[in-house]
Amino acid sequence: MEGVLANLREWLQDRKQHLDLFDETKTAQQDSPLYIVGGLVWLTWMIVIVSGIILMVWYIPTTTGAYRSILHLTEDIPFGWLVRGMHKYGADMLVISITIRIYRMYFAGEYKKPGELSWMILFASLVLAMISGITGYGLIWNQRAFWAAKTVLTVPTYYDEIPGLGKFGIGHAIAYIFLGGPALGQPTLTRFYAIHYGISIVFAVLAEIFFYRTRRRRLNLSYFTVGLVLAFLTYVSFDQLTAMGRWANPNRTPLPILSDWYFLALYQLVKYMPPLWAGIAPGLLIGYGMLIPFLDRTKETRPLERPFFFVIGVYALAMFVGFTTLIMLNIAVIGRDPPIIFLVTIVVVSLAFVWELLYRRRKAQRAQAARPAAPARPARPAESAVASS
Amino acid sequence: MKVDRRRLLKTLTAIPIIGGILAVLSPLVRYLKPNDGPFQIDMTTGDNPSGGAQVVGSTAALQKPWDYFYFTYIQSFPQYDAEGSKKANIAGVAVKLPQKVKFVQATSGFVGYDKGDTDIVLFQRICPHLGCIFNFIPDWHEVTAGYGGFVPPKPEQHSLMACPCHLSIYDPTYPGDPGNVISGPAPRGARYFKFEIQGQDIVVTGAETGGIAECPAAGRAEG
Repeated sequence: MEGVLANLREWLQDRKQHLDLFDETKTAQQDSPLYIVGGLVWLTWMIVIVSGIILMVWYIPTTTGAYRSILHLTEDIPFGWLVRGMHKYGADMLVISITIRIYRMYFAGEYKKPGELSWMILFASLVLAMISGITGYGLIWNQRAFWAAKTVLTVPTYYDEIPGLGKFGIGHAIAYIFLGGPALGQPTLTRFYAIHYGISIVFAVLAEIFFYRTRRRRLNLSYFTVGLVLAFLTYVSFDQLTAMGRWANPNRTPLPILSDWYFLALYQLVKYMPPLWAGIAPGLLIGYGMLIPFLDRTKETRPLERPFFFVIGVYALAMFVGFTTLIMLNIAVIGRDPPIIFLVTIVVVSLAFVWELLYRRRKAQRAQAARPAAPARPARPAESAVASS
Repeated sequence: MKVDRRRLLKTLTAIPIIGGILAVLSPLVRYLKPNDGPFQIDMTTGDNPSGGAQVVGSTAALQKPWDYFYFTYIQSFPQYDAEGSKKANIAGVAVKLPQKVKFVQATSGFVGYDKGDTDIVLFQRICPHLGCIFNFIPDWHEVTAGYGGFVPPKPEQHSLMACPCHLSIYDPTYPGDPGNVISGPAPRGARYFKFEIQGQDIVVTGAETGGIAECPAAGRAEG
């Protein structure tokens, strides 16, 4: 037992040495735009925090005041549209940057030793960003916010169907804790506000401690890039005024109703799956993502040299795009689609597995062929001597 | 396993540590969820809402088969904030069916109408899947057009109920289980109201529990 703990401590120590939260150790590779996304994560995060605090000046966190205060802020307060746009589009850019960085680390094999811990933190940060996202757009208290909160918080009640767990009422307790009561109302909005604000503050402090202890630079982007990002966000805020939706109406669910863009694929999945599985599946996906460094044990980093994980990554991306498209078109024939998707998944995963096996066999054969032949036995000098004499 | 002095002392030290953790966790959980008692392991699933008897409509509006109207039944929940309790809406629909049915929910056994068979039925419109408000669709073609592309089989090509969020479709006259789900991810049929008919009045006296309801919107409603 103590040996295991000591190993774990050593492992952690080693990964902590190589911890890289915002690509700050990879500045030499910034010729490729894929290596500025880490810096963008930090920059957009800070933009979101600063604009969020400025938004708090006008925001009223009540079911009666929230929608009106944001409408007022967007349309009447000088530069209110800009602060809100920076906050919203900055947050979108943050999620996009984290996602691109996850895919880059995945396909470039950067999650392998000693990058495991960096990968896991990055993955957790995507989950935290999404939680911030859903609690954040909840604060507008419009139809989208209301129904997103309601459906998401009904999901945990299904956990009580898991045998053995039901009698403790954990699922309903989770829902109650987030709702602040048995129904969706003012306490829910207050708690969302606390969570939305709390996540960023707590993790910003942790990131500061990290920078303080490692003495690394926080902002690893050129002033040109920073200026470009700010100009871009300003332009988008001006050109695409942040949407208000309609005031939450508990007696009417609009048709169609969509979530924020990064939840759309998950939303489509919830249509296809029984609700308990829809509650467990995201957990499994997150778990799989977190554990990738320990599942992919090879030393290869190039994507085509680890075909199985390459195909899974491409397939995940295709599913994300495909499901998002389906929900935008409002297509979901629940009796027809899931078996097809299930079948395609099985075929793709099996083919990936076969490719991996073939690749490994070919590699082994090539290694066999390339190995220098065993030195030939030298001819016996005695025989030749006899023949010549 | 040999129990030596070191191991024994370690074990004994663990007891106050675990006790300490529990002593901190329990108040924290109760701070977030004040309807649980101190050190209560199995969580209270929610305080029972009550609404009493409310007249929601008249049978005069339900003359022909598939006549329907929407209504709202208001319940009161205990709420641990400064106001003490909250009103919560349960959206409902009353439907006149083409034939009489036994109005007992097949999954939960909840009795909606206890005076024999009825051709007037009252469903809660809170979707038993994830709690959106589903709609009564008088013409089933609209289900096919707007709710994901589901085409109901021949016997079910009549008025249906459909949820905008995850596209569960409910059949108000499903044999043996009125309001049962015929397509979509919902795990069961629609929840019922318990009701009586007094003269022309339709009086709701209770509602099946289980869903997360919502507090009435303060402010303007959506058109």
